[in-house]
Amino acid sequence: MRSRVAAPLAALAVAPWLLPAFVVTSLTEVLILGLFAMSLDLLVGYTGLDSFGHAAAYGLGAYGASLLLLHAGLSLPVAVLAAAALTALVAVPMGWICTRATGVSFAMLTLAFAQLLYAIAYRWQSVTGGSDGLAGVPRTPGPFGITWFTSRAGFYYLVAACLVLAFAFCRSFVASPVGTTLLAIRENEMKADALGYNPRAYKIAVFVVAAFFGGLAGALYAPFAGFASPDLFFWILSGQVLVMVIVGGAGSLVGPVLGAAVFLLLENYLSTLTNSWALILGSLFIAFVIFVPEGLWGMVRRRIAAGARPAPPLVETDSGRGVP
Amino acid sequence: MSFASFLVTQALNALALSALLFFISVGLTLIFGIMRIINFAHGALYMLGAYAGYSLVLSTGSYWAALALAPVLVGGVGVGVERVLLRPLYRREHGAFLLVTFGLALVIAEAIRLGWGPTPRRFPVPPILAGSVTILGDPFPTYRLFLAAFGCLMVLALWQFLERTRLGLLVRATAQNAEMVHALGVNVDWIRAGVFGLGCGLAALGGVLAVPLVTAYLGLGVSVVVEAFVIVIIGGMGSFVGSVVGSLLIGFVQTFGNFYLPDLALAAIYLAMLAVLVLRPRGLFGHEE
Repeated sequence: MRSRVAAPLAALAVAPWLLPAFVVTSLTEVLILGLFAMSLDLLVGYTGLDSFGHAAAYGLGAYGASLLLLHAGLSLPVAVLAAAALTALVAVPMGWICTRATGVSFAMLTLAFAQLLYAIAYRWQSVTGGSDGLAGVPRTPGPFGITWFTSRAGFYYLVAACLVLAFAFCRSFVASPVGTTLLAIRENEMKADALGYNPRAYKIAVFVVAAFFGGLAGALYAPFAGFASPDLFFWILSGQVLVMVIVGGAGSLVGPVLGAAVFLLLENYLSTLTNSWALILGSLFIAFVIFVPEGLWGMVRRRIAAGARPAPPLVETDSGRGVP
Repeated sequence: MSFASFLVTQALNALALSALLFFISVGLTLIFGIMRIINFAHGALYMLGAYAGYSLVLSTGSYWAALALAPVLVGGVGVGVERVLLRPLYRREHGAFLLVTFGLALVIAEAIRLGWGPTPRRFPVPPILAGSVTILGDPFPTYRLFLAAFGCLMVLALWQFLERTRLGLLVRATAQNAEMVHALGVNVDWIRAGVFGLGCGLAALGGVLAVPLVTAYLGLGVSVVVEAFVIVIIGGMGSFVGSVVGSLLIGFVQTFGNFYLPDLALAAIYLAMLAVLVLRPRGLFGHEE
């Protein structure tokens, strides 16, 4: 059990020393998108809320961090955390409105919010830079005179630390009484309601938590790429992150990170091979959803379980997602 | 230009835009009503209709032939998609549909890029629709007037189909209770495939009609599909009347918004949607599920 925690941590820690610089950069991007996908998993996998506007959190985090770094002169870690907190704050009224609807309406409402923010980012020239976005986002040194985070390796460690801490938090969050209530809501909202829980309050809570970590990912992306553009709010990105979650395996936290890695790997690899990589990528997703409903991580888990000891029965659920 | 003629001209512009929006949103709402799924590929199919229309105009030399054939072709593609890709997913949660139709949108958009290339395509309107007519002393493009009229005609035709024909009755019944319809001996599978194909064909019709106004370009589907979502949500998912009213609302908000508040126009439709949803979460004409 301990090795299952220690091995990935050690791998993350030694990676910058063993890998060439451009791979470290790619890995940083994988970890950022992994964090983003993991935050969406709280909604999709654990609560059954299919958000199609999670890019709203990503974009808010990215723009928030960009503005704080460009104009407020905050140091990198402080600006990133502040941007994530601001995203969570904005998510409170957003979650309040979106959770008035359920199912597909919920998905469409979240989509509309993200598109609204896209429209604002696109038009509010003086603050957001309009269609050009904000360029030249610096990695401001500090706090306490620490300059390490501004380097390639230092920034990688900052991202890795955010992902690991977020993972640890989300793991205990979904295992907590709140988390199990979320599962109950996912399986049968009316029953949870009848048992005296207030599903709406729990949904808003998890919406805000997911927005915090989604915003954290976006806030890391802006200084990573050096810019923030309206595309970070666009529905294509919301769709892509949903793809990462479901391809990786919803309801596992680890799966979405795996999904993000596979997504970026495939995109980079296929685009070097062929001009029509998007065609292949799209077809792969379709095939994947139809033939591997439990996701990559579900497949891996089943293999491990089958190899080590007799397979434990996967818990069958109403919604068809396996409970880990 | 007098204020009255300005109002009339803008209202006609808004009607023409509403007609285009109606063709894409009515398909979405019908498909949602029957299958409870959101078709993310709908914008891509609209775009496919536009490009197919372009090729058909080139090969047949007739705008009218393209207008008739492109929807049939794209509708056929829709039926194929339903039978092959969506059928296996009916027992799964709707996240699977979101993903498959999203992947499909990528695939179709990419196929269009490979097939037609990145240059925007356009064909002229037929001579009878070219030029302009004089309305209250000011010229107005005939083609837009045609769009508005054609839109009204299609609204009435679809309304009659749904309300007055046996097939329309079966479609409405399936939307209400598919199991019961199935138990009464109707092949629900084919109704699903048919409605999906009809929805895709209508989107393609909108695509062909839009080309003389906006040209066929690669981002066409991406930008329009979200507006169609907004309309479907405002009107109420699965409601035919809702898609008509929603299209009119968004058409007018956009046309007049662009004139009076150009900076807010892009955001205005989303604000309109939020306002409706806060008051009525199910949309204007939606039913409680």
